[in-house]
Amino acid sequence: MENKKVKLHYYPGCTLKEKTTNLDDSTRKSMEILGYELIEPENWTCCGAEFPLNEEKIIGLAAPARILRQVKIEGEDKVFTVCSFCFNVLKRTNEALLTDPLKYKRVNAYLKDDIKINHETKDKTTEFPEYEGDVKVYHLLEFIRDEIGYDKIRSMLKRDLSNIKIVPYYGCRLLRPKGNMSIDEPDDPTIFEEFLENIGCTVLDFPFKQECCGSYLSVSMPEAATEASYNILRSAKLNGADAVALSCPLCYYNLDRRQNRIKEQFLEFMGMPVLFFTQLLAWALGVEEKILGLDQHFCSPYSVLGIDDKSEVKI
Amino acid sequence: MSNNGKKKRIGLFVCHCGVNIASVVDVERVAKEMENYPDITFSTNYVYMCSDPGQQLILDTIKEQKLDAFIVAACSPTLHEKTFQDVAKLAGLNPYQVEIANIREQGSWVHTDKEKATQKAIKVVKSMVEKVRANESLDPIKIDVNRRAMVIGAGISGIQAAIDIADHGYEVLLVEKDPSIGGHMIQLSETFPTLDCSQCIMTPKMVEASRHPKIKIMTYHEVESISGFVGNFNVRIKKKPRYVDEDLCTMCGDCEEVCPQVVQDEFNMGLSYRKAIYLPFPQAIPGTYTLDIDSCLGMWPVRCGRCKEVCEPNAIDYDQKEEIIEEQVGAIVVSTGYDLYTMKALGEYGGEKYDDVVNGLEFERILSASGPTGGEVLRPSDGKVPKHVVFIQCCGSRDPENHNPYCSRICCMYTAKHAMLYKHRVPDGNATVFYIDVRTGGKRFEEFYQRAVEEDDVLYIRGKVSKIFQEGDKIIIWGSDTLTGKKIEVEADMVVLAMAMVKSENIEDLLKKLKINTDESGWLAEAHPKLRPVESLNAGFYLAGCAHGPKDIPDTVAQASAAAAKIGDLFAQEKLLHEPTIVPVNEELCSGCGICVPVCPYGARTLDMEEKVVKVNEVLCEGCGACAAACPSGAAQQRNQTDDQIFSMVKAILKG
Repeated sequence: MENKKVKLHYYPGCTLKEKTTNLDDSTRKSMEILGYELIEPENWTCCGAEFPLNEEKIIGLAAPARILRQVKIEGEDKVFTVCSFCFNVLKRTNEALLTDPLKYKRVNAYLKDDIKINHETKDKTTEFPEYEGDVKVYHLLEFIRDEIGYDKIRSMLKRDLSNIKIVPYYGCRLLRPKGNMSIDEPDDPTIFEEFLENIGCTVLDFPFKQECCGSYLSVSMPEAATEASYNILRSAKLNGADAVALSCPLCYYNLDRRQNRIKEQFLEFMGMPVLFFTQLLAWALGVEEKILGLDQHFCSPYSVLGIDDKSEVKI
Repeated sequence: MSNNGKKKRIGLFVCHCGVNIASVVDVERVAKEMENYPDITFSTNYVYMCSDPGQQLILDTIKEQKLDAFIVAACSPTLHEKTFQDVAKLAGLNPYQVEIANIREQGSWVHTDKEKATQKAIKVVKSMVEKVRANESLDPIKIDVNRRAMVIGAGISGIQAAIDIADHGYEVLLVEKDPSIGGHMIQLSETFPTLDCSQCIMTPKMVEASRHPKIKIMTYHEVESISGFVGNFNVRIKKKPRYVDEDLCTMCGDCEEVCPQVVQDEFNMGLSYRKAIYLPFPQAIPGTYTLDIDSCLGMWPVRCGRCKEVCEPNAIDYDQKEEIIEEQVGAIVVSTGYDLYTMKALGEYGGEKYDDVVNGLEFERILSASGPTGGEVLRPSDGKVPKHVVFIQCCGSRDPENHNPYCSRICCMYTAKHAMLYKHRVPDGNATVFYIDVRTGGKRFEEFYQRAVEEDDVLYIRGKVSKIFQEGDKIIIWGSDTLTGKKIEVEADMVVLAMAMVKSENIEDLLKKLKINTDESGWLAEAHPKLRPVESLNAGFYLAGCAHGPKDIPDTVAQASAAAAKIGDLFAQEKLLHEPTIVPVNEELCSGCGICVPVCPYGARTLDMEEKVVKVNEVLCEGCGACAAACPSGAAQQRNQTDDQIFSMVKAILKG
């Protein structure tokens, strides 16, 4: 007797549809196994990717507020994401609307101009409710800890990951700003470690887990981003890790996709596989290899997962 | 109430306070306009009412004008109410026939518009006329005093206070929760700014306290409850079982040798180990072993019982039970000390993850000749001599956003001392200090700091440290040099964190029992920040040492002696006088609803179930008026602050 799937809103964000489909696919498959039917809010757009810190730049809050409003319109009070940037932007937008009456007013004034066209009937809808900042935004790591529970995950594991010596890499967006925006204590987080332990990995500590990967500096000042990323991977190696686990597509880009640049800048660099936490989750839950999108990685992660490496060794 | 129906002759004295009041309030006009107010028989103004001629003016006027009461329109009553009450007494007037109209703190100092400020001053004065018109003549409440003191906490502050009180000739109970007296000071290596050995100056004090015929030392005791009031406290003290008879124990150490249980040694800050049956440190007072029951395998001979087997004097007694001792004292010194802020709160410095990142007290033990390394500077992880030690100040201090807002005061000096002592022990080593400011505001402190910099080559870097982590056997420190504006990375073998001082762990329970206020950081609150620094607002309680706020040893000793002197004042009085402006109960009006009972912060009110009325302990009542505000029937009326008085005061103000 198959249990009915629980419907759950999922906001993937743009990167997952393009550059990191491996993150998207592994998330979907894992959540399916865990008993969820994922629903994307209709007509979603980019969240903006960066929370506007300029107090006057209210327009930057319109897109995330609109996405969250759509979740509300569809009758849900929670949504989860796996991208650290989306998580950060959506959650901070909520906080801004809840704590700043002026922002609340101005954002909702923008949202009033929203027009929704029904493509079949050509009807236009312009009447929307105000968005109050009350849709709860989860990062999947939080959702697993608080809603699914590690016990359930442990009971469904299909593969033994104990040979994988891994370090969790939080980056900045999951932890800052501190307080209720953070998924854990920013200076001493443990949620990622707990997750990795509960899917069976051998988790190691490393001091660079909260350091910045260089973020968008990979565009404007690539050498700086390369150095920052190198320091993280080097520290992971020094602490005995076989691979680095993360959740952020931009960190993934800097830490994995740019390893050729790291190699150019730091000759002693020997490569370090980088995996999304959802890929590890899916693998532990018994998902077949091709769903994981391992061939998209620059630094081959096959051997880490104990799979014969079919791809050409790039580093 | 109405002074036997006879109208009162009321005088008014308006003070200029130099220009403090007169520059904003037209004092002459206040005096002039009030001349015609009902019952004012005399009204004048003068430049300084509190001066000798000012007081003389009042004194003479009372006699000439046959005044029944008078009002001084001047500064806050907290400053000079007593001065003018004394003038009243000199003139043979009851001091409760004096009222102060505050036209300075609540008048000239907070207003700029002269016309409005003057009108307000007139209204304030009028309201005080209404009040004083109905004032009763009162006499202070007299109480007996029990000339015995209790000191809670036997660190340097408690010991000093106890010795001083005992030297005044009064008995003292010195209560300490740990097995020995000594507190944190006995853990220290050397002390700034003289570098004399802490144990060498502390142990004579401890011995003096233990030998003093007037001091009763009660170690391994905790205060269970306190009732009563100043001069007459009843204290219940819990005696924790030591399982060793103090009088029989010869400190031979046989029990310790056979004990199989090894635990971390608190005295050495966990840097070494002790047995479950232990002597806290060699100079411990009382000199007796203590069996730590939480670490013991179990006191049934079947399980272990080895210590009892080998104890020749037969001092070990597994049958000891917790006892409650009742004592009566007249005054209490709270000298419960401090703890260090936990390193766990500083995740960016590794929490407690790295063995070679230690706090200041741990480093004291490493430096101490009696410490786990015998005074050699060896790092905890591998016992090697660290060649570069980095000291970080203000760890958890001066950080209102994340940790504690206050300055812990002693860290600048002890860090300079640590760096200096390290350089003396390891002359070829390097010492680096990260600081925000170096605060050396004590006698010979600046000279001491300069000595560290100039003679001992300690490198001071101004800037905060953002992160500490381990790489191989090195500790990496990331910080900033705010003088050059550069980010810096330093490699060290060991790091010492000057952790903030915080209130003692688990102090809340005790403070609840004592009903002593604390400030927002948990430090004990003094009665007045400048003028009453060693007393609590709760009468009969005195503060000494770091329980009151971060302090170095000289300040602690000074405060302890001051508290003892204050207790000397208290005990020198034949009877204690208590303010009579309390809130009694009009038993005819009281319905026994009991609403006022929990409202009273001093526990002065109890509901008499038989008579169905509330009874007031006049000595406990501090006259705060909370019950008067809560009482639905008007049975609780504060003396000289009755509802009638308040209504007529309000009316006088609203009339304009």
